Amino acid sequence: MATLLTLRRRIKTARNVSKTTKAMQMIAASKLKKAQDGAVSSKPYVEKLNELSKTLSSKIDQDNLSPYMVKPQNTNTKLYIVISPDKGLCGGLVTNLVREVLRLDEKGKQYFITIGKKIENYVASFNKEIIASFPFGTTLPSFETVYPLAKIIDEYFLDKKVSEVIVITTNFVSVFAQTPKVTTLLPISLEEFGHINGSTVIFEPSTDELLPDLLVHYIEMSIYQSLLESYASEQASRMIAMKNATDNALDIIDSLKLTYNKVRQEKITNELLDIGGGMFANYG
Amino acid sequence: MSLQLKLITPTATVMDEEVDQITLPTANGEITILPGHVNLVTKVVAGEMITKKGNRSQGFAVFGGFLEVSKDKVSILADYAVRAEDIEVGRAKEAQERAQKAMKDKATGQDFRIANAELRKALLELKVATKHKRIVSK
Repeated sequence: MATLLTLRRRIKTARNVSKTTKAMQMIAASKLKKAQDGAVSSKPYVEKLNELSKTLSSKIDQDNLSPYMVKPQNTNTKLYIVISPDKGLCGGLVTNLVREVLRLDEKGKQYFITIGKKIENYVASFNKEIIASFPFGTTLPSFETVYPLAKIIDEYFLDKKVSEVIVITTNFVSVFAQTPKVTTLLPISLEEFGHINGSTVIFEPSTDELLPDLLVHYIEMSIYQSLLESYASEQASRMIAMKNATDNALDIIDSLKLTYNKVRQEKITNELLDIGGGMFANYG
Repeated sequence: MSLQLKLITPTATVMDEEVDQITLPTANGEITILPGHVNLVTKVVAGEMITKKGNRSQGFAVFGGFLEVSKDKVSILADYAVRAEDIEVGRAKEAQERAQKAMKDKATGQDFRIANAELRKALLELKVATKHKRIVSK
């Protein structure tokens, strides 16, 4: 039977834990709000950019495609960009990402770019070749973080060192559901949207000059969108994980308190019995 | 007849209003768009954009991007855009000085390019802000 002192200590510990997790839950909730706002405010831009890219690429010659849209034939090397948080304590988010990495097709050579310390450690431990790794940071990712990343991707894809660039990130379905998502960033396949048969449109300068610029924006924005989504997922996941931790801690406190009171009552009863017994002994 | 103008940046929708005319700098020189303009897609370069509605004109500083005109709907996708009256002159001046200093101190590669871009942005902001102020004071 635990003594009163150890019980009291355990209750105190559980209470401290619940306070910490509660605080983390609140922080995650406020960061989630910001992340969602960020995602919402960049949405019109992304939609318009996609629309414009579609319009433009439907007008362009099939044999005159931008290098971003052509799949190099001479290699089967793939470049994976994996995006994870820097910190843990966010439920199964990182584990799910790792599972996705392990599920990848092993055929051909693989390069990795990691964003976030968590996934960097895992990918390194699988003996994969990491060509660059960036920290994710604990605040809303700024647009500037995209530029060095885009530069490396350009270097590898345009020099035909890799045939595909694939992004692995976490899809923000809702606050309660985040699933890993694997998307092909390059080569860009705009054909799947189908041709748009609109009225005549003038392009100034020519489509051949406009498209490369537009596609650069398109790629940067896609990456940024992935970062934002990953950030929102991280915060949502952490918020839920910390809420569960807080609830569990409170449950433990409740059951410990019950035991504590039982033990205390038992002790008092025993003392009373002792006193009573002593009195009877005197009278007897 | 009027134009529905949408000025969108990666971080915000700066403007979504009806206007009568838009003047802005493009890769092929400054153009003015009036209602009934032919459908057009072009590149916007850094500079000053002016919209007019009735007698009121409104200045903007825009930094690169794309313009699409489609049936009197004008969409501008800018890397960065700000209304003239929202420009913080003090901060722009600070940015200008900072950029100039950075260019003097470590004029190499990436850092130089960033500083240069910052400087151009700061100068443009200052230009648009002062010009707009003059229009107001008249």
